[in-house]
Amino acid sequence: MKISSAKLWIALVLIALAAVAPLGISGYWLRLFTFIFMWIGLAGSLNLLTGYTGYLDFGHVAFFGIGAYTTGVLMVKLGMPFFPAMLISAVLAGFLAVVVGIPTMRLRGAYFAIAMLAFAEAMKQVVLEFDGITGGGNGLSLPIYTNYQFFYYAMLGTVLLIIGTTYWFENSKFGKGLMAIREAELAAEVTGINTLYCKLIAFGISAFFAGIIGGIYAYWMTFLYPGDTFSVLITMRMIIMAFLGGAGTLLGPIIGAAFLATIEEILWAEFKYTYLIIVGFIVVFVVLILPRGLVGLFRQRILAR
Amino acid sequence: MTKNFGNLIALQDVDVVLRKGEILGMIGPNGSGKTTLFNVISGIYAPLSGEIRFQGQAITNKKPHMICRLGIARTFQIVQPFGQMNLLENVLIGSMYGRGMSIEAGRNKAEEVLYFVGLKDKMYLTANEVTTEDRRRLELARALATEPQIILLDEIMAGLTPAEIEEALKLLYEVNRRGISIFMVEHIMKAVMTISTRIIVLNYGQKIAEGSPKEMAENPEVIKAYLGDRYV
Amino acid sequence: MLLQVLLNGVLIGGIYAACAVGFSLIFGVLRIINIVHGEFLMLGAFITYWLFKLHGIDPFLSIPFSFAILWILGYLLQKYVINRIIEAPEIMSLLLTFGLSLIIANLALIAWKGDYRLVNPEYAGANFRLASLTIPYTRLATSVFALAAMAGLYLFLKQTDLGRAIKATSQNKDGARLQGVHPATIYSVTFALGAAVTGIAGSLLSMSFSVFPSMGGDYLLFSFFIVVVGGMGHIPGALTGGLILGILQSLSTNFVGAGMTYILIFVLLYIVLIFRPAGIFGKGLVE
Repeated sequence: MKISSAKLWIALVLIALAAVAPLGISGYWLRLFTFIFMWIGLAGSLNLLTGYTGYLDFGHVAFFGIGAYTTGVLMVKLGMPFFPAMLISAVLAGFLAVVVGIPTMRLRGAYFAIAMLAFAEAMKQVVLEFDGITGGGNGLSLPIYTNYQFFYYAMLGTVLLIIGTTYWFENSKFGKGLMAIREAELAAEVTGINTLYCKLIAFGISAFFAGIIGGIYAYWMTFLYPGDTFSVLITMRMIIMAFLGGAGTLLGPIIGAAFLATIEEILWAEFKYTYLIIVGFIVVFVVLILPRGLVGLFRQRILAR
Repeated sequence: MTKNFGNLIALQDVDVVLRKGEILGMIGPNGSGKTTLFNVISGIYAPLSGEIRFQGQAITNKKPHMICRLGIARTFQIVQPFGQMNLLENVLIGSMYGRGMSIEAGRNKAEEVLYFVGLKDKMYLTANEVTTEDRRRLELARALATEPQIILLDEIMAGLTPAEIEEALKLLYEVNRRGISIFMVEHIMKAVMTISTRIIVLNYGQKIAEGSPKEMAENPEVIKAYLGDRYV
Repeated sequence: MLLQVLLNGVLIGGIYAACAVGFSLIFGVLRIINIVHGEFLMLGAFITYWLFKLHGIDPFLSIPFSFAILWILGYLLQKYVINRIIEAPEIMSLLLTFGLSLIIANLALIAWKGDYRLVNPEYAGANFRLASLTIPYTRLATSVFALAAMAGLYLFLKQTDLGRAIKATSQNKDGARLQGVHPATIYSVTFALGAAVTGIAGSLLSMSFSVFPSMGGDYLLFSFFIVVVGGMGHIPGALTGGLILGILQSLSTNFVGAGMTYILIFVLLYIVLIFRPAGIFGKGLVE
């Protein structure tokens, strides 16, 4: 999907607006947008794997958590500054993804999905067990940094990187190979694609970005608790955002995440369970009625004219 | 080029040799192991015993993508197109990954192959949008784009009308003329008897006969396999 | 001491195995990974809890109710919702059952709150001693019941016409159709059966463990572990997998720490997936 120049201009304008916004907006809005960017990034990172290879990862939060906790531990225990800590964490997340992917991606997608769920649980337990380093159930405190504009830009920057990577997936030889895997994996394999290798790379990249977001999140929030940071609810929201918007598309995660994060902002505090039920219905609705997500719906309408 | 093998639960002591440039037809009742044989050759299953040799090299336990890159392509009995990708992209996968080309070079090759099979005018439609017959052609095109030396065709003519079969045979003759050896499984007797240089017959996972089409038509074992004792 | 730990593990393992058979059956026939499985267990457990709490019905006597209610739920879900995507790519069934699980679990959370409940009839704490071992009556009874349920399912599949039709469909859908078996009906019945058996397991669980709306997730993981280790679609394998899980959990809780259980489960899962993806007996469906 090459972008036409009109769309490119729109995108640049939006990015420019986003870049200058922090100068004019108040703390609440700054926080809200940072929050939305974070979710766009998370949904986008999941989309890199699931949207293009068709492998659903029920444990994706693990990489977010690994990014968050490794950043925290490196900063607190080793006194490392933020950027190196975050980068190391992200690379670790990507590396672990490949390690875990090797046995689990050789089998059908459903095995991978649940094995990842087990992985996420195991990671949570690791953090709880090694509480001398991670603070365990008492949580981990990072150095305080209250420059909220910094976090806004950090999330925004990461999102732009993810979008760029997604664009590259859409138009490159590698990306098309991934799509072939998604459409008909066996056929892809006999047509010369080393499916395991390609899947692992996509997985590693996707985990890397989730790790970056986790690292930024850790520094932003200052406190980390294993139950929250490794919560399966995070994975759930990532999945639904990617699919509501349209998995395997460039704009899908952006739309899905922006939409749901906004609703969540309103409903989460008071009506957490109701929100989740709504999410559940949205998932069912998407599967049965809108498998291509909102972007797919939009495209159909455009093409139908 | 030769391929010979041994056992698998569905295949027993099957020994096959495919000579360069020939069209080898494989016939046999349903469930006789024909697709299994293809799956073993293309690396999807590993044989329990025996080996597969291609141009003097043993390829027995190689992974499917390696086998494709070495020069053996295949189609599936139930077509497996990349549904949401358009025809051009489908074939592009073949030229890019099967042949190692870049996107630009691959695209040229893909267009050429699509033209050859007669799908060029539809190349921007997605695979989901075209007819089953077109998807068969697409599958062939995708395999051809990998520039194979051997192509395994699994019932590529199933469900075609007589006119379509004529078209398909012409296409396959042309493929063969360009130097690609063909190993095909087919149920449509007239077609496979016409085009094959040689035929092997499988039944219950074993090779029961081998020879020219004429010899096979007269072979009592073969007739028995298809029609039962009473017709011999 | 070790013997007691192992015994506990075996008793629990039987129950865990019963939790996993429904999951295995549904996958074996419909080829879908049913994420709502955990919620079926949860609902079975709650049915037992509420019948006990509100009407004083003995937990064992509530089992037919769980069976029946989950049967109906399973049948309806499959026929009207899941059947729509049965031929679609696998990711669709994963997402669909995932969405359903969210809906059911959170409805339960709203209705029943997140408190942990216990099903504790008078005989709950009683146990008897055998040599140096302490065996709780309830634990033993539920374990035996679990085995009976599994045996019943196994025999049903092997001996009855319907059971054989189900087995035929799992092996070769089109072949079965040729024999006059209607896949759609089989799917609904199988899903219902899987749900119902899981309901029974849920009821049995409630007698040994706390009951709460979000309990499904953990047991889903356990069931997955069991069927991967024992072999997907293979009932005797589920029993073995369950026993392994039970013993593993018992050992780890007693000697290493409860938290390590998940880590061990994952490690074991990882190892099995690398070396024996078709399960210990090599009979699982892998493709």
